[in-house]
Amino acid sequence: MAEGDARSEGYPLCDALPLDVDTLDPGMNVLISGPAMSGKRDLVFDLLAPSEPTDPIVVMTTDDPAPRIHAGFEDRGVRIDPGTFRVVDASGAPGDDDPTVHRVNSPADLTGMGVAFTEAVEEVGSPPRLRLGFVSISTLLQYVDAERAFSFLHVLSRRTSAAGYLGVYSLDPTTHEDRFVNVVTSIFDAAIELRETDGTREIRVRGLSGVAPEWAEFPY
Amino acid sequence: MTTTEGGTVLIVDDDREVVRTYRRYLETSYDVREAYDGEDALTKLDESVDVVLLDRLMPGVSGGEVLDRIRERDLGVRVAMVTAVDPDFDILEMGFDDYVTKPTSHDELRSTIDELLSLNRHAEDVREYHSLLAKRAALREGKSTYELERSEAFADLEERIESLRCTLEAEAENYTDDVRFVATLRAIDDEAVGGNADG
Repeated sequence: MAEGDARSEGYPLCDALPLDVDTLDPGMNVLISGPAMSGKRDLVFDLLAPSEPTDPIVVMTTDDPAPRIHAGFEDRGVRIDPGTFRVVDASGAPGDDDPTVHRVNSPADLTGMGVAFTEAVEEVGSPPRLRLGFVSISTLLQYVDAERAFSFLHVLSRRTSAAGYLGVYSLDPTTHEDRFVNVVTSIFDAAIELRETDGTREIRVRGLSGVAPEWAEFPY
Repeated sequence: MTTTEGGTVLIVDDDREVVRTYRRYLETSYDVREAYDGEDALTKLDESVDVVLLDRLMPGVSGGEVLDRIRERDLGVRVAMVTAVDPDFDILEMGFDDYVTKPTSHDELRSTIDELLSLNRHAEDVREYHSLLAKRAALREGKSTYELERSEAFADLEERIESLRCTLEAEAENYTDDVRFVATLRAIDDEAVGGNADG
């Protein structure tokens, strides 16, 4: 499916994961799953902006307002340039006009989020490579029912797949029924799980070929 | 929503000649309704209408205003703007699902309508996919692997999931078209509101 060099090369992770994973394939969608305070958001940001950032980034947020997203990426050395970085902010937080931010009134407006996403992609030049972050599925679920959330995530993830983009989504499985977590996980190509036991944070990956789904220590 | 063939189309145009022509193009395949201005369109619109062909420039209530009022009513209907000039404005922002430029042909009109009907069906398929996955997850919670492996009903469910998954993956190739991507999301948005005539 991938055509040309830009599209066929994987997305480098530059040691963002303490696992034997160097790149993720174009078109992949990855779920980051873990309880509150487990570092999900940081990991989403790390996967979007590893130590040598090269790809345009679009972050869709339903909880953190745009300034917090900006701060998170500035901490990682990303320049908040409207030509390469965009936030779709559906947190409902008010804010000044900002060329890098596309505001949507509420996460309940799925069409509005879709329109904002297409605008954001267009404004960064409809590039052949792009990393999309979505934080978070759990907040989305506070605004729409499971069926609508599933449908939205299915369509959005297929949209980025078809374009060869990398998608990274976060979810707190402890706040939802197991059944929903199982069903929504099936949308993704791989799931990265975080947990904390006895003060030690651990990580494992499921769904990546060549990587055993075993827990490994993931230091703070 | 919706039958695999046909569907109900509402033609809205103040030019009766145009309406007559479209009717001739469409009436062999769809159930056709007509309206000659915006007010008329809003009274003839109900949940049984699948697609509206809406003239943008009409005396009285404009096409854009009619569209806004259609969206407020959450009817789960797909709306194509019919316009004499190529839209240089953003039809996504305006809330249209597609557009047709006048003069249009029999083939173009029908393919636009069929695309919009298939889009509603696609949204329905995603919803069905969700419900099958939920069903499978529920069965897995309640039964042992041994029981499931021996169950014909479960094998049948797995087959339906796989077949629907393939259908959805194939259709997803169209999402790189922004208009189609957004129109699909709008169909999903509409669907859950419960305004659609589900058979």
